[in-house]
Amino acid sequence: MTDADDTTVRSDGGSEPPRRTVTIPDSIELPRLLDFYDLQDDEHTRISEFYDRLRDGSLSTTECRDCGDLQFPPRVMCPECTSDDLAYVSLPHDGTLFAFSAVRGSGPLGMTEDTPFVTSVVDLDGVDVKLSARIDGADYDDLSIGDPVTLEVVDIDGPTDQHRVFYRFRPRGDTA
Amino acid sequence: MMPRNAAIVGGGHADWGHREATWKDLAQEAGKATFDDVDGLTPDDVEGLFVGAVQPERFAFQSHVAPLAAELLGIDVTKMISRTELACASGQAALRYAWLAIAAGQLDVALVLGVEKMNLGDEYMAETQASMTNVLDREFDGVNGLNAPSFFSMFAQRHMHEYGTTHEQLARVSVKNKNHAANNPYAQFQTEVDVDDVLDSYPVAPPLCLLDCSGITDGAAGLLLVSEEKARELTDTAAYVTGSGQSCMAGNSINNLPSFSGWPQATQAAEEAYDQAGIDDPVDELDVAEIHDCFSISEIIEYEDLGWVEKGEGGQFAEDGRGELDGDIAVNPRGGLLGCGHPLGATGVSQALEIYKQFTGEVESARQVPDSPETGLIHNLSGSGSVHSVMTLARDPQ
Ligand SMILES: CC(C)(COP(=O)(O)OP(=O)(O)OC[C@H]1O[C@@H](n2cnc3c(N)ncnc32)[C@H](O)[C@@H]1OP(=O)(O)O)[C@@H](O)C(=O)NCCC(=O)NCCS
Ligand SMILES: [Zn+2]
Repeated sequence: MTDADDTTVRSDGGSEPPRRTVTIPDSIELPRLLDFYDLQDDEHTRISEFYDRLRDGSLSTTECRDCGDLQFPPRVMCPECTSDDLAYVSLPHDGTLFAFSAVRGSGPLGMTEDTPFVTSVVDLDGVDVKLSARIDGADYDDLSIGDPVTLEVVDIDGPTDQHRVFYRFRPRGDTA
Repeated sequence: MMPRNAAIVGGGHADWGHREATWKDLAQEAGKATFDDVDGLTPDDVEGLFVGAVQPERFAFQSHVAPLAAELLGIDVTKMISRTELACASGQAALRYAWLAIAAGQLDVALVLGVEKMNLGDEYMAETQASMTNVLDREFDGVNGLNAPSFFSMFAQRHMHEYGTTHEQLARVSVKNKNHAANNPYAQFQTEVDVDDVLDSYPVAPPLCLLDCSGITDGAAGLLLVSEEKARELTDTAAYVTGSGQSCMAGNSINNLPSFSGWPQATQAAEEAYDQAGIDDPVDELDVAEIHDCFSISEIIEYEDLGWVEKGEGGQFAEDGRGELDGDIAVNPRGGLLGCGHPLGATGVSQALEIYKQFTGEVESARQVPDSPETGLIHNLSGSGSVHSVMTLARDPQ
């Protein structure tokens, strides 16, 4: 019952109970997965070829050898026909801004130093793929829907020995 | 076995906002408020417990929360217990499963409880925002920093681009809902605002400004859902579930969403629910609706895709005040997510409870829908908007 009396008179005759200090670590290392970027090698993911190609400077994705379906993000099974016979194919590195915004309030863990930054949906030229991407080299106010953008490969300098990569885009013509 | 009707017969809330309280505290507050609200039902009567909770693992470092809640509320579950996770629609999902369990004759009395603890202290807002971004496909979309404000802002931008919708029209939604919340004692944001306040607030994720956004909210809500037989023993006024639909079009990541200016999933889910409820003309037949205004643009798109106006006319619907208390459909008299805040797992439960309270006339008079509303709807989208959930409610079962 919650209305039990909360008297400070001790029923055990007044002697102090034994007490000790236990020490817990100052910080607890979290699994690498919690830094947003996957471990990208073939020991950790079956789409490592996507990352290998990106590390070599090429954006790619999977295409189904049975039904021709082009997926993005890359898969291990075709969602159209359930085939697992997929091939990696190159994607164009140019596209246009389909939509964009900026993160100006608090950013997510690991990105707080980056704010403000531009996020977007990029419509790749000549292929039916729209992907989300950060835009480097421009502020929100500099940009308009339809602006041409081009791929930028990002090397991740982070808490693992693995050479991890990702992609962003930047305004086309801007080679800075 | 014939499906049976089920009805909401009451419920209650914890206070919502930045709470100096734990997940477990919030669950108990909402549980107490719920049992205090319903004469004739105690924890001993509850046979099934359905808990909507999105990220207790991250926000409270706690899993298996349904039995934890059962213990805290003194519920001896004898028939069915589970927690549902469907991001922002988790509360409605929990309610839907409770309804199905009662409809299937598995049990007569269910507690539906939604609980979310989201504020971990200002210095940990980045953790909360990270937990919002991983609701998207983390590997390809969350990684780009797309938290909810920046993601939904792109819908605002596309809707403006394609249909000429204006920020003033969006702001009308924020003003309406926040002004309702100003009369709702459990709401997170209880300050009245006007259109200029919205437009002049900080463009936190342009084109959307701070007052176009719902908040990061600690909160909980509970309701009791019972079989028709039980409801008739307990009360004259209940909110019967008359229809329920969900749609997800095999698209969750950015490339696979069907649209950036609309939600055909909402249309599909609504048509399913309308069909079950026998609703032909929703604008004419619905008196009150609690729809998912996680951002002002969301409500505009929902006017359209719930089938109330033609595509592209959502902004005009707002401008014409058709969603005001005395409009065609009273939309978000509770204050919406914009005014009440959005403790993810609790929102759908709170929306459904609001429909019940509107039927019984128990809400603050300043936000009571006039002329005794008898039909209502709740709607939630979740994650990247990839899923839409719609439920219709009525004072009389069909
Ligand atoms: C919009 C948002 C990014 C603002 O967060 P922030 O920039 O960290 O803002 P802070 O928490 O530092 O708050 C700053 C001030 O704005 C107020 N505020 C914060 N969010 C607010 C909101 N949504 N509406 C109105 N006022 C808000 C705070 O009360 C605070 O006021 P104070 O200075 O008077 O105390 C955050 O509220 C958010 O992420 N909202 C969306 C929640 C979400 O993703 N839900 C899921 C939807 S699908
Ligand atoms: Zn295929």
